[in-house]
Amino acid sequence: MFHRLLIANRGEVATRIARACRDLGVEPVCVASTADLGAPWLEEMEEVVCVGEGPAGESYLRSDRVLQAALQTGCTALHPGWGFLAEDPRFAALCLQHGVTFVGPSPAVISRMGLKSPAKEAVRGVGLPVIPGSVGTLDDVDEAVRVASEIEYPIILKADAGGGGRGMRRCENEAELREAFPTAMAEALSAFGTGRLYLEKFLSGGRHIEVQILCDGFGNGIHLYERDCSVQRNHQKLIEESPSPVLSTDEREELGAQAVAAALKLGYVGAGTIEFLRSAEGELFFMEMNTRLQVEHPVSELVTGVDIVCEQLKIAANQTLSFTQADIELKGHAIECRINAEDPSKNFQPSPGTLEIFELARGEGPGNIRIDSHLRVGDTIPPYYDSLIAKVICHAETRERAVETAINSLQASRLDGVKSTIPLHLAVLLSREFLANDYDTSSIPGWNPDSPAPESAS
Amino acid sequence: MNEPIELLIQSEEGKNFLLAPTVGIFTCALEPGQLLVPGQSAGSLTTLGVARTVVVPAGCSGRIASERFERVYQPVGFGTRIYELEPISEGQSFETELASEAESSNLVLCSSHAGRFWHRPSPADDAFANEGDVVEDGSVIGLIEVMKTFTHVHYRATGGLPPRAKLLRFLAGDGAEIKNNAALIEVEPA
Repeated sequence: MFHRLLIANRGEVATRIARACRDLGVEPVCVASTADLGAPWLEEMEEVVCVGEGPAGESYLRSDRVLQAALQTGCTALHPGWGFLAEDPRFAALCLQHGVTFVGPSPAVISRMGLKSPAKEAVRGVGLPVIPGSVGTLDDVDEAVRVASEIEYPIILKADAGGGGRGMRRCENEAELREAFPTAMAEALSAFGTGRLYLEKFLSGGRHIEVQILCDGFGNGIHLYERDCSVQRNHQKLIEESPSPVLSTDEREELGAQAVAAALKLGYVGAGTIEFLRSAEGELFFMEMNTRLQVEHPVSELVTGVDIVCEQLKIAANQTLSFTQADIELKGHAIECRINAEDPSKNFQPSPGTLEIFELARGEGPGNIRIDSHLRVGDTIPPYYDSLIAKVICHAETRERAVETAINSLQASRLDGVKSTIPLHLAVLLSREFLANDYDTSSIPGWNPDSPAPESAS
Repeated sequence: MNEPIELLIQSEEGKNFLLAPTVGIFTCALEPGQLLVPGQSAGSLTTLGVARTVVVPAGCSGRIASERFERVYQPVGFGTRIYELEPISEGQSFETELASEAESSNLVLCSSHAGRFWHRPSPADDAFANEGDVVEDGSVIGLIEVMKTFTHVHYRATGGLPPRAKLLRFLAGDGAEIKNNAALIEVEPA
């Protein structure tokens, strides 16, 4: 195992990685921007290296500074966490070049899964179902029209290097497609430096289901079943649970086995997530693969008992997986609420500030509660980074009990100084649609933005 | 040659500090008591194997008041304090250590750093020294302007130059841009 490891991140994930390091006897070292110096999570570290000013582009995204911090503090491994440099293949390659172990898959795999159409081709090649559409990128508008008529409208044009909705166009017919093609291409070119487009069938709604996998460097792989992350707002996940209430046991086993087989064929090493869209008809399609740890990983940890971050570190330290698929047993149901510093009554406007009251209830039952947070009362949430304050993760024997635990905990929690998304979580958890599984990713069950639920947590 | 990188300035309670501008291994630190002027090299910082000279930024000069790091190769983070500076009062000249260099067989006084060389204290005044004058160790012979800061250039009887000398001619004109170690005046023993 490593002696020292650099955490190239901040906030909640830095706390989480530091905990895994301590469990394995590894000394955690962390980078920090000037805005984060003095932050509570840095107290858990053996050493802290300041890498620049507050804005991420001048600190957490400066790959040269971050890697140099690892080298000069004697770290032989680096954990990128999520966001920032976690899915930058050039950074992973730079670490390799300087002899620092990057906790994640190889740069080649990261770059292959980072571009949309090669990722889609790669998983199509290993037998996962993909959303019908073009094979690779489109040469011109005539090819687009030909593919679209084969798979039938509506279709969606997407930028190969895309993200954030840019270069995306939904088209209902050929005339719209011919009109949208050049503008989508120009938009993609200016936003991402490449105008390459692909198209696929437009599927609205559906459920977001993702499989957590773990592969070691010796060709062994297992899955930790799936997470259902269908409660979303603008593609931002709000509530995640495991197992998914919409999959049958057979579907679950088959999906997990398929995901592991695909990852092994891709030469994947480390922890990763394969995301699927499940249509209203029950068909599953590959969406994308995340080659890193995910925010919602604790729900999988609670239902399987596997510490994903510890396993990541062991895999990076060239150890074989110490268990097989047969050892993984799904126990009960877990649900996670992401508490963000946002004002749900004002269109989720970020609400930076100081936590004047910060009491998240842990012992309300009936299930168990795990709270993952990097903050304490009196701490300030700076305006530069994401707005996550805490994750409240509840585990019980059944979904109903897990939801009840979450409701009890959130209702007994007190938070002041910043606005939080707790009222939104309560509205969802208390809604009939959520309990009856009558929702998809296109809307938030039980939430009407025009008449927010009464402030239950004050 | 890699681009030099400027140190950062921090002022706190009347004290000035020069800070590391990036993460790396700092070495070639200057000694306590030494004077720093804008544009001057003040050490070397290595990031991912690339060494860069660190220079004193514009608008900052003073005498080094802090001790050197304990380690010759000191790991620093962004914003680590490298030097604490003691201000030098205005108008006070400081010892510009002038290197000498023999140009053919002549005796030549050279500049200690790059900048603009002036013969006169201000455009309305007479020159500090004229060709034919006798200069002694410590005599002011001109000014070097670096980023709006002026420092006196002293004649120094070091490096083979005599204690008293006759200024034969200026090798750098009034207002000329000069490089580090550029020949300023030619002298002969007086």
